[in-house]
This record gives sequence, C-alpha cells and structure tokens, in this order.
Amino acid sequence: MGDLSTYFGANVISLLLLNGGVGARAKTAGPKQFVKINGVPILVYSLKEADEVEAITQIVVNYPEGHRDTVEQIVKDYAIATPVAYVEAGETRQESVARLLDEATNDVVMIHESARPLVSAADFRELAESTHANVGFMREISFTVAPVDPDSQRVTGSLERARLRNVQLPQKFAKADLRAGHQFALSSGRTYTEDATMCADAGIDVFFTEGDERNLKVTTPGDVNLATHLLRHEGQEDV
Amino acid sequence: MSKTALVTGASKGIGLETVRRLATSDLGIDTIVLMARASQAYDDNVAALEAELPAGVTLVRETVDVGDRDALIDVIARVHAQVGNIDFLVNNAGYTNPVPIHQVDFADFERTIAVNVYGPFTLVQELLHLGNRFEVIVNIASTAGMNGRSGWLTYSASKAAVINMSEVMREELKIYGTRVVCLSPGRTATDLRKVLAPDEDPTTIMQPQHVAQVIETMLGPTGQYVDQQNVIVRQ
Repeated sequence: MGDLSTYFGANVISLLLLNGGVGARAKTAGPKQFVKINGVPILVYSLKEADEVEAITQIVVNYPEGHRDTVEQIVKDYAIATPVAYVEAGETRQESVARLLDEATNDVVMIHESARPLVSAADFRELAESTHANVGFMREISFTVAPVDPDSQRVTGSLERARLRNVQLPQKFAKADLRAGHQFALSSGRTYTEDATMCADAGIDVFFTEGDERNLKVTTPGDVNLATHLLRHEGQEDV
Repeated sequence: MSKTALVTGASKGIGLETVRRLATSDLGIDTIVLMARASQAYDDNVAALEAELPAGVTLVRETVDVGDRDALIDVIARVHAQVGNIDFLVNNAGYTNPVPIHQVDFADFERTIAVNVYGPFTLVQELLHLGNRFEVIVNIASTAGMNGRSGWLTYSASKAAVINMSEVMREELKIYGTRVVCLSPGRTATDLRKVLAPDEDPTTIMQPQHVAQVIETMLGPTGQYVDQQNVIVRQ
C-alpha cells in the first residue's frame, strides 16, 4: 500500500476511532463500545464503513483498560482490511484523542467515535474530499440553550441559536493543527470535550459542514433502540 | 463485471440444474464453483455440462463433503484464494435419513445437522472471515422445515434451523448490502426426495429445473422485489 500516498496526493488519512468510554449513561453492563446494535457490537459499524474508504489507510482505535483483546477480536472477525493500531484509552476524552494522535502515521487525521454507528463511508469521503483542512459535521439545534451558573442556578444571559451548532463526528484535521490545538489546551490548562472548538480557541481555522440527523450518538438505552430501528429498516420505508 | 458463483450439492438435482441455469444466465457469471462429494454422478454430470457450456464460463470442481467441517474449511480457503470473491452462494447440499424418533441414531442426527446446518454456516462464516462480500446468498431449506412431519424428525429440525439461520444472516449481512434468500421447495424430483418418499412417481412432482429457475430469478435483479424471508416453491 506504499504508493497510495502518491495516488491520493497528501490526503491519505489516519482515522482516530474513539472507543474507550464507559457506559455510565447508557446504563449497560459492560463498556458502552461493546453495546450491541441489532445484535452486533456497536464498534463494527464504524469499522466496516471506514474500511470501505480508500483514503483511510490506517485506523487507530482505543480500548478501555483490559479490553484490548475484545477489540482485536472484533477487527479480526469482521475481516477489517485496513491496518489497525491499538491504544489504551486516556483518563479524559481529550487525553484519549491525544494518545490516538500519537499513533497516527498520516499527516491528515479524522476523529470518529464508535458510539455513532450510523456514520457512512460517504460521510468519511465527504470530509476527505473537502477543501478545508479542518472540518467536521455539525447540525443546527432545534432547541434553545441557556448559559447558566450551575451553583446559584442563575441564568446568566442568552445565546443566539442561529449562531450555535450541535457538534457531530466525524471531523477531519491536519495532524499538525490538531496537535497545536491540544498543546494550546494543555498550556492554557483547559479541558475540552471535543476538538473543533479546542482548535478554534487556539486560533486555528476550523469549518463545519451540514451533518445528518441520522448520525446520532448512542448514549442512552433509548438511543440503542432508535439506532437499531434505523439500521434494521433502512431502505424499507413502507414497513 | 464478471461474477463468481458457488453451488453446493452441485453434482445432481437442484444444485446441478442451478449451475446449468447460472452458466447461461445474464447475471454476468463467468466462474462457477461446483462443490459436492466425489462420485461417478458428479464426474459424469459435470463432464456433460462442460460440453454444453457457453464459451467464457469456467466450472471449478471441488470435491468435498460439506458435512466434514475440517475438510470444508480447507477447501473454502483454497477456493477463495483461487477464484477470489464469491458473489453468489447457493447453499443447496442436503442430507436426510428419515426415521421415527424411536429409531433415530444420534450419529445420523448429527450428520444431518452437519450437512444441512453447519455446512452453510461454515461456508458463510469462513468466507466472511476471508473478507468476502456476498451479493446474494440462497439457502435451500424445505417446506418440511416449516412444519414437522411424522417420521422426518432430523430433517424437519435441520430445515427449520436453516429458515431461522437465514433470517439472522439477512439482518446481520444487511450492512454489506448482501441479500439473503431462504428458499423452501416442496416435493421435488431429486435423489433426496426418493429417500423421503420411495414409492412416489417422480414424474408427477416438481422437477429440479423448476426450482433452479426460481433460484436464478432470486439471484437476479427481480429477486430484490420479492420478500425473501422464506420463498416457498411448490407445484
């Protein structure tokens, strides 16, 4: 596969696949990345779609402590052809991304999470082909968000909904930019729950493109049911 | 684009007729792997088929007992390395020895499940592990798998398993766009039918080529418009 970088220009991509969280909110027995959607481990869906994307020449996936074998077995059983590297999850999401980033061999990376099983190969390709170096899927929000002081329960002002977006995944970054974003977070002592806003705060240009409502994040048992329903009945709108 | 098909139980009956139809179909199939146990019938029938084949269609002979899991696994790896991706898989090989429950020999029950259930399972699983992407899988069940028949315990149980196994495969392989068709023929004039109903006149019942015609249709573009949960074919 050594010549692929020539074939795709500089755009061969390492996918950083977040898969290390624990299922505190989904109230599942084990780590949430082993939650099953329609009877199949949730991780399989993202792996399989990413495996179909020619530009993704490396997948770096993390695993919660003690679960490396489970992840490796899934990769083997589902005959994932793209080379996969394994990294233990960090204490925080931010640390997990930083660790995944350290293993990336390509200059362009994408971040995705196994908790979004409805991602499609077309989503990855859309980002891969975007002219923006740093770009991710985002959605308009259908509800109003209030800034508050949680301690005093005081509403502190207002936010303009039209200028806010729901941050989805996947996202694409130039590896150097994402690294700079993480260095900014470390040096400024701030912790971020995702990387687009981190990089923006660091003064790096990041863009969004319209995401799909289907690409939901599976967090609660209700989300498991919804994702299962969407996956089972795709293309069967008359049932 | 050239496609490859694999048919088990291809030496005679429904399997042989399926190979004959696929060789002349407009599904773009240029390679057909014929799996069956070694037999005189296999050699004779495949030789006759080769003589009538259109140019550009290659038959690949693989003599293996689908009920011998270890041998089957070896053959699958070799076939996949030789012919590449299997686009169409027809799990047709079947076995029966119909006897009442008092007379069921457990080893024979195991043999029935090995051929009728573990065989198709092993073919699909091994090929998936090799990264194979199926376009369509046809699992041949039987109307005897929809209702139990007195005297056919092992066969009815095995074919009921095929019907349900097919439903699971259909759900799980949907992510690849694979269609999984379960097809249940009724009385068909095959050697297996002679075992089930030795006194029946085979000319009065459905012929293997009729079932093969339905299999060809289900593999083709029309098949996607048919509910594939359990396609019943009977006269």
